Amino acid sequence: MNLVEKILARAGGRASVEPGDIVVADVDRLIMHDLSGYLTAKVFEDEVKLPIRHPERVVMVFDHHFAPATERQAAVLKSNREWARRHGIHLFDCGSGNIHNVAVRRGLIRPGMIVVGSDSHTPVHGVLGALAVALGNDSHAGTVLPYGKAWFKVPHTVRIELDGVVAPGTSPRDVALWLVGQMGEGSMIYAALEFAGPYVKALPFWDRWLFPLATVDLGAKCGYVEPDEVTEAFAAGLPGAPYDRMERSDGGEAATVRRYDVGGLGPQVACPPTVGNVKPVEAVAGIPVQWAELGGHGGGRLEDIRLAAAVLRDRKVHPDVRFNIVPASREVFAEAERSGLVLPLHEAGATWFPPSTGSNQAANMGAMAAGEAMISTHARNFPGRNGSSEAQMYLASAASVAASAVTGHITDPREITADLDRPGSR
Amino acid sequence: MTKTFAQKALERASGETGLVPGQIVDAYPDLYMSHTASWRCIRTLERMGVDTLYDVDRIAMVMDHISPANSAKTAGDHRLCREFAERMGVSKFYDVNAGIAHVVLMENGHIRPGQLIIGTDSHSTIYGALGAFGTGVGFSEITAAWVTGKLWLRVPESIKIVIEGPLPPGTHPKDIMLRLIGDLTADGATYCSVEFHGSYVESLSVSERMTLCNLAMEMGAKNAFVPPDDVTRRYLADAGVEPDGYEELLPDAGAEYRQVVDLDGRALAPQIAVPHTVDNVVPVDEVAGTRLNQVFIGSCANAKYDDLVIAAEVLAGNKVAPGVRLIVTPASSTVMSKAASDGVLSTLIEAGATITNPGCGACAGNGGAMADGEVTLSTANRNFQGRMGSYQSQIYLSSPATAAASAIRGSITNPQDVLR
Repeated sequence: MNLVEKILARAGGRASVEPGDIVVADVDRLIMHDLSGYLTAKVFEDEVKLPIRHPERVVMVFDHHFAPATERQAAVLKSNREWARRHGIHLFDCGSGNIHNVAVRRGLIRPGMIVVGSDSHTPVHGVLGALAVALGNDSHAGTVLPYGKAWFKVPHTVRIELDGVVAPGTSPRDVALWLVGQMGEGSMIYAALEFAGPYVKALPFWDRWLFPLATVDLGAKCGYVEPDEVTEAFAAGLPGAPYDRMERSDGGEAATVRRYDVGGLGPQVACPPTVGNVKPVEAVAGIPVQWAELGGHGGGRLEDIRLAAAVLRDRKVHPDVRFNIVPASREVFAEAERSGLVLPLHEAGATWFPPSTGSNQAANMGAMAAGEAMISTHARNFPGRNGSSEAQMYLASAASVAASAVTGHITDPREITADLDRPGSR
Repeated sequence: MTKTFAQKALERASGETGLVPGQIVDAYPDLYMSHTASWRCIRTLERMGVDTLYDVDRIAMVMDHISPANSAKTAGDHRLCREFAERMGVSKFYDVNAGIAHVVLMENGHIRPGQLIIGTDSHSTIYGALGAFGTGVGFSEITAAWVTGKLWLRVPESIKIVIEGPLPPGTHPKDIMLRLIGDLTADGATYCSVEFHGSYVESLSVSERMTLCNLAMEMGAKNAFVPPDDVTRRYLADAGVEPDGYEELLPDAGAEYRQVVDLDGRALAPQIAVPHTVDNVVPVDEVAGTRLNQVFIGSCANAKYDDLVIAAEVLAGNKVAPGVRLIVTPASSTVMSKAASDGVLSTLIEAGATITNPGCGACAGNGGAMADGEVTLSTANRNFQGRMGSYQSQIYLSSPATAAASAIRGSITNPQDVLR
């Protein structure tokens, strides 16, 4: 059995499972953000009307709002707070950070866990060797909250092996974007994706993160990186360590293996209107942008902020651009400040957002007007997601975002600075 | 004839002499400030069908309210302003993240003693901190000034406030102003020029004088004024203003005042404005223990660098109480830089504050909205019912010290109890 099968077998109380089996499993962690959590709580209170079976396993993070602009938004947050307090679940209020980063950094996601969440990017936690799946709000309200359980069909596994040395100035984010473009959106419906191969295994933890993040765009059920010494070392540093449930595959060959050569790959951009519309940065270089943002599920890590600082050293944000920097968590922001990164980026003209999902869906602020364009590290670029449906969103690496913020148009980061070597671009 | 500051300032701006209170004059402002509402001025100009401006160098635009934009509509408003500034050559254009207009314009040397400044913001009285005559007007009046260069004003009567200090530890200019507004009431200085004098005022930094002049609006003042002195001159020099680039106007000894108020600050206790008016002021101790959901340290009244230092001193080594949100919004980009360079920002972050980008933030409804039944303690200048979200929520106003102490305890707290 592989990692996914082992976790499901254990959680279902079985000796073994096979793809296609239906398993009713005990859920170890449910994570919800302020928008989905509100909807889930409403269904739970209106229709289900039972106690929460394991409140200590339930986590809510306010990340779409950091300081709500309207009374209606404030009422949603107030309702969430009261619900969380009444049931005794974990609550992380405004300014804590992005749901997935907060859950990991607070030690609430552990290797071997079954993690479910209403955010479609929940499968990102496969990076820690967890089985992480996005379910619907009603599933949480109907089975996870009252019974602590969810049902799963055991997915078939596809191993995606990446090998090769990418071109200098190319980051794992570029590779992940490129992979979605190569494989195609919705091409891996209900599969478990194992991200493997020498390229992936050489990456540090936070860079590996970007691959299971792409799971939902490929249509897969979950994604993971087989736990190894990188996983162990990272997990050992988290609150609540050590963990005793690190599952590993038995070593059998996956039924399906897809191999990709990333040798010489350059920076990539996912162009409107969907994440699968991926082009080499050269193909879209020169398109004017009024916004640039480091943040969302694909950015805002300390590594991204360091990189932005490197790009902006002795440079300024272009006067026509608003460059938002959104730390992924309060810890990242505090560390950025301690490391002296806040001041130079601020003085270069960047706007620091509170730790959150930033301008995602323009829930709190950061909306675009018709005809404007943004380049960002966000996970989605659908029309109308950040304000006007006539605005355009381009998804790229932190380096490309920072470089474009300097020039005012989509820019190959290699034109700005030659010293952007990152892990993986050996 | 002896003259008040207001008489002298309006004589200078109108070119007339011998002005007396009550007289109406056409005055030529030195600067027309418009904030995010500039888009309204631009639309008004379009409706007027005019495209020649009196003096584009007197226009200052600052995108401080709802900044960054929170909807496609407001994003479009910002863009309209940007494009207008570019097309017309508005050099004093400050975009998202620059900070609150008043503070940005003073820090950047655009406000000078003796000048007449009009702005699309009621708290334009703040410019009196540099010895200028600042007053708030509507956006259509700003548009008219863009075109004609002038505006009619009635010469105000003057009120002289004489404050003696020093204040006890834990009390600040905000406490003095709240006490004064409480005593004089919200219409106690309607259409008056409020002059601040006395040993306490002389001891204050320009930033602290901003708090006095800003809040003078809340007693109805037309403008406010602190006599320029060495403190003013040093501030101006730091802002790049040459000493020969302005003319200090001082009231004459023996000038005629409608009222003289003597205030002894030496025994003042921390003050707080309770819902729902700014003049509903009591000592903090009277409402101590009132539970809070949110604390906001921001606005042109109290989010300057020294305000953040006061808050950080109280918060250092402490954590925001569970269940309380602390939002800190630096007044300007320069304030943010200073706080990020000397550990003040770190202290605020470590204490659990949510730092939002420089600008008006929650004070102008872009953040910090409240639901029914919630309570905020704010360092801003208005606590009107429904100003921060629900009509069924409550706003208290205090100094940054009281706000920080209350954030730690989770309820309204006299900062002297925490500092002690």
